[in-house]
Amino acid sequence: MKELAGRLTALDPDAGAAVRVIAYFDRLTEGRAGVEALVRGAAVLAGVPALLVDAERRVRIRVEPDGVRRDRGLPPDPAWPSAALTPDGAPALWLERADATPSVVDAVILERAAGAARLVLDRTRGRAPLDDPALVETLLDATAAEPARLHAARRLGLDLLAPARALATPAGRPGVVPAPAAPVAAEPPAVRTGIGPAVPVLELPGSWDAARTALRFTAEGGALDPGPRVVSAEDLGGIALLAELIAPGADPPPDVRALDTAAADAPWLLTTLYAVTATASLRAAAAEVNVHHSTLQDRLAHAEHLLGWPVRTPQGRLRLHLALTMRRLARP
Amino acid sequence: MTSVPPPFDPELAAALELIKDMIQPGMAMEDIEAIRQGPALALLSQLDLTAGGAFEVEDRTVPGPEGAPEISLLICRPAAPAPDRPRPVVYHVHGGGMVLGNNRAGVDVALDWARALDLVVVSVEYRLAPEHPHPAPVEDVYAGLLWTAEHAKELGGDPDRIVIAGTSAGGGLTAALALLLRDRGGPRPIGQLLMCPMLDDRNDTVSSHQMAGLGVWDRTANDTGWTALLGAARGGPDVSPYAAPARAEDLSGLPPAFLDVGSAETFRDEVVAYASRIWQAGGIAELHVWPGGFHGFDGFAPQATLSKSARAAHLDWLRRLLAE
Repeated sequence: MKELAGRLTALDPDAGAAVRVIAYFDRLTEGRAGVEALVRGAAVLAGVPALLVDAERRVRIRVEPDGVRRDRGLPPDPAWPSAALTPDGAPALWLERADATPSVVDAVILERAAGAARLVLDRTRGRAPLDDPALVETLLDATAAEPARLHAARRLGLDLLAPARALATPAGRPGVVPAPAAPVAAEPPAVRTGIGPAVPVLELPGSWDAARTALRFTAEGGALDPGPRVVSAEDLGGIALLAELIAPGADPPPDVRALDTAAADAPWLLTTLYAVTATASLRAAAAEVNVHHSTLQDRLAHAEHLLGWPVRTPQGRLRLHLALTMRRLARP
Repeated sequence: MTSVPPPFDPELAAALELIKDMIQPGMAMEDIEAIRQGPALALLSQLDLTAGGAFEVEDRTVPGPEGAPEISLLICRPAAPAPDRPRPVVYHVHGGGMVLGNNRAGVDVALDWARALDLVVVSVEYRLAPEHPHPAPVEDVYAGLLWTAEHAKELGGDPDRIVIAGTSAGGGLTAALALLLRDRGGPRPIGQLLMCPMLDDRNDTVSSHQMAGLGVWDRTANDTGWTALLGAARGGPDVSPYAAPARAEDLSGLPPAFLDVGSAETFRDEVVAYASRIWQAGGIAELHVWPGGFHGFDGFAPQATLSKSARAAHLDWLRRLLAE
């Protein structure tokens, strides 16, 4: 019986073909087929190789019309008919057909395959919002059973084989992002954020602990609370040990009290001192706080007088750095 | 008995969408003539059997069973110069539910093996039911194999290295041929390749109920095919194992078998049972059950990932069988 339609591997370019294309991709989507199956479908139905490139997510799949995947590094030809994964986005799916004007069927194939591929990529490669609070909570709960955490990870669309990070913010819900994705957008986030290390999904509770620790090292910015708004646990190194010594809301150590007292006397003090610890040279620090180099020298002399220790020697700078850091850690 | 059927593999489910207008799962007796005249079989005649000049193709008329008409064999020999020793031979039996098809149907699969492994392909045309009920089809298949074994050398083939192979009804006839050859002391094939074979006229397994109305060959079509072959005897107590190999009580002494079947098809349970019974009889069998595969999926959707795996498994088995 099987040979009856055995040759029906490509579509006739008739009116019914577009309908079949739509039904084909609908069924693939319904069956939760993977991206490669979608690219294969496009290649087989169009009868020419199909290429999908999603640079951001490092996906590159090229399938020939016989269904065999053969990736090549060559860039797509602008003459090939193409479709974007998102409306108004850059082309991401191409049919390698340079010799003729694309048909209506080509257009339908591209539109359907790209739309289906976007859904799959969002589901499997982490653009889907990872924001179901209950699932995230389970995933980050070290006392939850492993199967429950794996189930939560799958439901959140995480790739179980790829590393992920936990994110902590002061009041917001915990977050989880796939590790290859940039954890923070190019522009500074609106809220303080601690970033946990990249770990296998089952170790996310540990990443979450580290993210909360990193959060304590962050600052709001501004005159009263200068400092980095985003801190990655992986960048803290041994400095993370300080977090265990200073309990939030506890009586601040003497150096921190000295800072607060001095800051009450000189509103510029905290931002200026932070600039000294956060830049490579005093000249850079002056530029950072937007004062002349000699003005900075005057300010630092004044600060040293208020604090009672030098801030322009290596040792004094370390003491200052620790004091500013402990000041953030002591925040209630 | 009804139960939830296993889902089709996503790519195969999508392929079913493409072919559903041409192929429906339930074929009734009155549909047979229309399908024989339909577009699907016409496509077969357009096949380039020489595969771009790789094969010399010949239609040969040879004696049929005693007192029966002659039969036609399609013979495809590699065009490349003959190797030092004769080539192995694949004896191919086409599918079509016992009621459809000809010796072109599905032979491209055998030609793919022949190209990879340098084989001679002989594809037999047998008389179809219901015009020619059992034993006409299997006796034609048997007669063609006898001729092939006797004349293998003149085809550049090795009579001692014949593999018998078939899909669907052709797989059932191939299994029956192996039984016949054993019982009549005929030539000994070195292997039997049974792809989604049609083995059991009783049509009463869980899978045959489970897949009703689904895929390309369901219990209605299966009833039609077997009734065409066996008439009122179908499912009764007196069905010959040479018609329905699942009826054989003794599966010992058969050539090594390769069997495969989809998990989402009517034949799943009877194929699995047949493989188990070969092992229980002390025989050699390799069984693959392709998850989410519908009947004959690798022929209908050769580009799908699962189809590629299935085809690779066929070739791999042949390569191991023919390696010395």
